[in-house]
Amino acid sequence: MKITQRFSNTLNATIQNNTGLLALMDQSLIKPYMRKVILYFICFISFQNYAQLTPENEQVQNTSSFLEKTEFKVGYFGNILWNQGLNVGAEYLWKEKIKIKERRRGQKTITNQFLLNGSLGFTFNPSTETDTGIFTHYGLIWRRTNTKGKQFSVTLNPLGYYRSILPETYEVKNGEVDKVFLPGRSYYAPSMSIGFGKFRKDKKLSGRYFNINFMLRTPYNAGTSPSISLEYGYRFNFKKKKRDAKNNN
Amino acid sequence: MQKIITNHLKIVVLTLTLLSLFSCSKEDIGDLSDTLFVRHKGADMPAYIYGNGADKIFLIILHGGPGGVGLNYRGGTIKSEIEKTCAVVYFDQRGSGMSQGSYSENGISVDIMAEDVLALVKVIKHKYGSDSRFFLMGHSWGGTLGTATLLKDQDTFKGWIEVDGAHDPKGMYFEYIANFKRVASEQIDAENNVNYWNGVNNLVNNVNTTLYSEKDFFRMNREAFEAEEKLDDDGVTNREDDDSSIFFNYNFLTALWSRSRTLSILTNQGLWENVSYTNRLSEITIPSLVLWGRYDMVVPPKFGQDAFDNLGSSVKKLVFFEKSGHGPMYSEGDQFADEVIEFITMNK
Repeated sequence: MKITQRFSNTLNATIQNNTGLLALMDQSLIKPYMRKVILYFICFISFQNYAQLTPENEQVQNTSSFLEKTEFKVGYFGNILWNQGLNVGAEYLWKEKIKIKERRRGQKTITNQFLLNGSLGFTFNPSTETDTGIFTHYGLIWRRTNTKGKQFSVTLNPLGYYRSILPETYEVKNGEVDKVFLPGRSYYAPSMSIGFGKFRKDKKLSGRYFNINFMLRTPYNAGTSPSISLEYGYRFNFKKKKRDAKNNN
Repeated sequence: MQKIITNHLKIVVLTLTLLSLFSCSKEDIGDLSDTLFVRHKGADMPAYIYGNGADKIFLIILHGGPGGVGLNYRGGTIKSEIEKTCAVVYFDQRGSGMSQGSYSENGISVDIMAEDVLALVKVIKHKYGSDSRFFLMGHSWGGTLGTATLLKDQDTFKGWIEVDGAHDPKGMYFEYIANFKRVASEQIDAENNVNYWNGVNNLVNNVNTTLYSEKDFFRMNREAFEAEEKLDDDGVTNREDDDSSIFFNYNFLTALWSRSRTLSILTNQGLWENVSYTNRLSEITIPSLVLWGRYDMVVPPKFGQDAFDNLGSSVKKLVFFEKSGHGPMYSEGDQFADEVIEFITMNK
């Protein structure tokens, strides 16, 4: 009861003040906002691609096979309190730029990568049967790796799909009741995430990551429903070990 | 050979364990613990059904809000006593709790939400049998929704229980002002939290007293919860003993977001400015029980008396809980359960 009352107080204040939170609730305002984010991201990518053409810094990875350019990942996906889940995916190296700078202490290597991202996940609330779903996301990752292998990444997944899985469901239509077969609902579910990680060079288990993911589901009820999740997982690959790995670096 | 037998035994034990896990059924209607969804007009709404279903008597609880959560009420004596008497249906209304779906803003209205409740009744009858019997209980905003439901179809229900219910949302604005003044004066005379109650007087002296103002309405609504805490502190009312453990049942962000949207839409539709069922209460003729906290600051006690005076039922009873505010089910749980169980037993 008190939780509801606190909800009420907070929300009443929101409604009265007509703050940005209320504005964000409005689906019609979210769409232009998302469009701006996507536009900025595309501009950023274009700039990065242009920068890559400068010959002095350019190192293009010409390894040809799909597996050589692809890393796989598996990790926890959820918010610890209400939703637990698993997310698996693949990241395909699309563009890479390696900057090597000579410093007194030695070489400093900064790698900027653009990767195509695809993932498939499952989430559920162990306390209830009311918040179960599967989802899939497709988009682009920008990742920066420093000399020590520490990584920072931003992921934008404009393509996303969420399918809720409901327990026993009955539909009432024209006064008739029917049991629904495979009940659930489909939502357009774009997402974005910001994360940190650690790269392990020349290892099959090539790194670990921690992301904060923000996903929207729309149309959800009479608007859009946001969710925040944490991702923690490991990346691995099936690359062949190169005898001349040293020569590549 | 022994190794082969051991290996096979492991497989058999594993298979049997898995089978037993997946074959668990909940057919024992005497002790219900079911979650099912009602799909109606673009919404999927969960109903959590617990308790004694042996007599196929279902008490449907309509939560407050708008935009509250059904399982908020599964605690105290509702869980420990009333669930022994009948099956209690905790229902997440459209746009509330873990309800989901896809519909426009026009897909939320008191009218559609009342139809949802009748759809829920149909689903329960379909699942548990057409001989199921129903009682409807509405708390706070649930009082608005319950009244609207009964005005659509009351024959489905054996009885109506209104608990601190807002059957007259339109009347609340001006009654807030009157009730705050009355309680503030009483508490200042009793020298309880004098500074606070003087502040309350200042608040109501500065709101628009001639016309409804949405901003002032929500200021007073917020203050009403604060005032009830002060009354608790001074021992005027019993502190609410809310032991419903719903924290892990509802994704806070999802529930909060849905609630804000639903409350906003219904407010914009003029819920607090234009909607009142007081003049139509006489159309409700099924047995009715009106339960109210004497110190309810959120839906003041005047509305309890109004409900009792205007309901058209020949069997009706009004109970004021002298040590309660807006949640008598938690502040005077034993008496609350006694009244509900007696009412159900007499009218089933």
